[in-house]
Amino acid sequence: MHLECTPEQDAFRAEVRAWMEAHVPKEPLVTLECREGYDQHVEWERTLSSGNWGMVTWPEAYGGRGLDLIQWLIFEEEYFRAGGPNRANQNGIFLLGPTIMEFGTDEQKKRFLTPMAKGEVIWAQAWSEPGAGSDMAAISSKAVRDGDHYVITGQKTWSSRAAFADWGFGMFRTDPDSKRHKGLTFILFDINSPGITRRPIRQLHGDTGFAELFFDEVRVPVENCLAGEGEGWNVAMATAGFERGLMLRSPGRFQATAKRLVDLYRKHEAEASPAAREAVLQAWMAAQAYAYNTYAVAAKIMAGGKIGAEASLNKIFWSELDRSMHRTAMQLLGAHAELKRFDDGSVNQWLEGYIFSLSGPIYAGSNEVQRNITAERMLGLPRVGAG
Amino acid sequence: MDMLLTEDQLALAETVRDYLAGTHGPEVLRRLDAEGNRDPAIWQGLVDMGLTGLLVPEAQGGLGMGLVDAALIAAECGRTCLAEPLVDTAFVGVPWLQAQGKTDQLADVAAGRVTLPLAHAINPWVADGAGVALKSVDPMRNLAASANDNADPHLLNLGALMSAAQLVGLADAMLHLAVEYAKIRTQFGQPIGAFQAIKHQLATCAVAIEFAKPVVWQAAQALQDRRPSAAVHVSHAKVAATDAAILTAETAIQVHGAMGYTYEVDLHFWMKRSWALSGAWGTRAFHLKRVDDAVLGGTLAIGPENTFA
Repeated sequence: MHLECTPEQDAFRAEVRAWMEAHVPKEPLVTLECREGYDQHVEWERTLSSGNWGMVTWPEAYGGRGLDLIQWLIFEEEYFRAGGPNRANQNGIFLLGPTIMEFGTDEQKKRFLTPMAKGEVIWAQAWSEPGAGSDMAAISSKAVRDGDHYVITGQKTWSSRAAFADWGFGMFRTDPDSKRHKGLTFILFDINSPGITRRPIRQLHGDTGFAELFFDEVRVPVENCLAGEGEGWNVAMATAGFERGLMLRSPGRFQATAKRLVDLYRKHEAEASPAAREAVLQAWMAAQAYAYNTYAVAAKIMAGGKIGAEASLNKIFWSELDRSMHRTAMQLLGAHAELKRFDDGSVNQWLEGYIFSLSGPIYAGSNEVQRNITAERMLGLPRVGAG
Repeated sequence: MDMLLTEDQLALAETVRDYLAGTHGPEVLRRLDAEGNRDPAIWQGLVDMGLTGLLVPEAQGGLGMGLVDAALIAAECGRTCLAEPLVDTAFVGVPWLQAQGKTDQLADVAAGRVTLPLAHAINPWVADGAGVALKSVDPMRNLAASANDNADPHLLNLGALMSAAQLVGLADAMLHLAVEYAKIRTQFGQPIGAFQAIKHQLATCAVAIEFAKPVVWQAAQALQDRRPSAAVHVSHAKVAATDAAILTAETAIQVHGAMGYTYEVDLHFWMKRSWALSGAWGTRAFHLKRVDDAVLGGTLAIGPENTFA
């Protein structure tokens, strides 16, 4: 264990810092969950790409920098230090990109990865269905083989980015007689294909980040299938592993929030309760703990280890931390908390953040599901009711 | 910059774990509880494994290892609820003497001939020391009343760090006891561990424990390196480990139901040690105050770019 950076790591940090200071927008972008904000965020993806900072962990061959996980953590620390915007391309960078690298053909890698790296194509995920949320194996949307095409009929919902994104990925039932985890196929599709209707869902803050997708005999070429017919569940599990595991939420994000919370506390110290003071200290401690743990897991992976149930622990920890930090901020803000804009005209980012933080324990596998996984796979408690 | 525990470090901890699991199970705790809580044969076994000399330099007959190695083994001592004063003597006392340049006793400590009772102003007692006996809730602790005027901050940090390390091991053990009980206790026609009401509580303990561990290892390295910020990291570790252990203790007794309230079930040994160590070497409030002074007081650089400040 070494707590000091190497000279190379220090130099890399300085390089990222200089670029971010020169390029991160001075004013916060409009929320990603509306047309105007989405366009601003896509523009930011292209700016990142112009400096080759879009997909830093990807191999150079696919438009990345081939950084190791420690360098990635340093990059993220500097990204959030500079107040970098949310990533419109999140689904591509950490979910679909690594999955295509692992399961895709050479042709698919060429076709999909480079435009993803350049921010030219933004991807939406299409996991959930009205009857398949936490229970993803209950998927019923069908893809029927017809020559060189699949014909897709069904419905997806809660699709992140789908209100505005270009392409989507998800699982479809290719074997009509199959049940549960079997007979599912992982398919990539152009959301503008004939037969797809997207219906943006208005979220509780009033904006539209996710959408429903309706498929009415949508023809998708067979070459858009990833890893072969019927392999969908295995591919999705790998994807879910990446997502929940290390990379969905890097520590820098929460350390930045904790630091802003400390600043907020100082402003409101005179009227703050001792409980709020302790909650602020807890926020710093938990964000640091999350960082140490991520560095430890990264070191383990770099030494050849794999992530298992730790992915579920991670997701529980960061999502509940994020919610509690924002709750504390709302308490500190008191009567100002409900204001969408403060007196000086600035956006109440804590309110937006609090509302967003409420989705954390729900998406990417609800925390109840994560606790089941932890209890069953890590602690070895008996399963019930799963088919 | 890395948080890697090396294969050697993990292998040594595993060796100690296996040894203690084989020689210091609950039946030994019950024997010690009935017959007097120190056993020269157990102590000699620890000496023979080299553990009393873990931090003693090789020139004085020790293994010359560091505080991260010691913290990993202290966690194993917690896991087995070890009664002998190994952690105090070998992992707190030895590095404290070394830091003061007092090396004349180290060879005797490594050889197991000497233990080091540690008096500090933060504690109203001395463990395994001379004086009027005080009775601890933990039947394995031998406490004596002591007028402690030593307020050395390094000794305090070493004591707090190693208490934190033991607490994560204790928490691990209590979680394990609760899990094993939940697998075999049947009600309503199924093991109670199949109920989500049980699963989710135990999973919450696992989260608290797994996120306390790297805080402890990081603090051990910071103290080993004598970083200016080490005291904050030690305090963070003590708070995180205390919270994980107390949560797990309360959850574990709940999962055991009425059986958990009996002397017959083993859980209470671990729970009592957790209560004792939570208050030893600085309470939660004391350590939270040190974090407060650093984070809100502004003496520590915070934010994403300062992970290892």
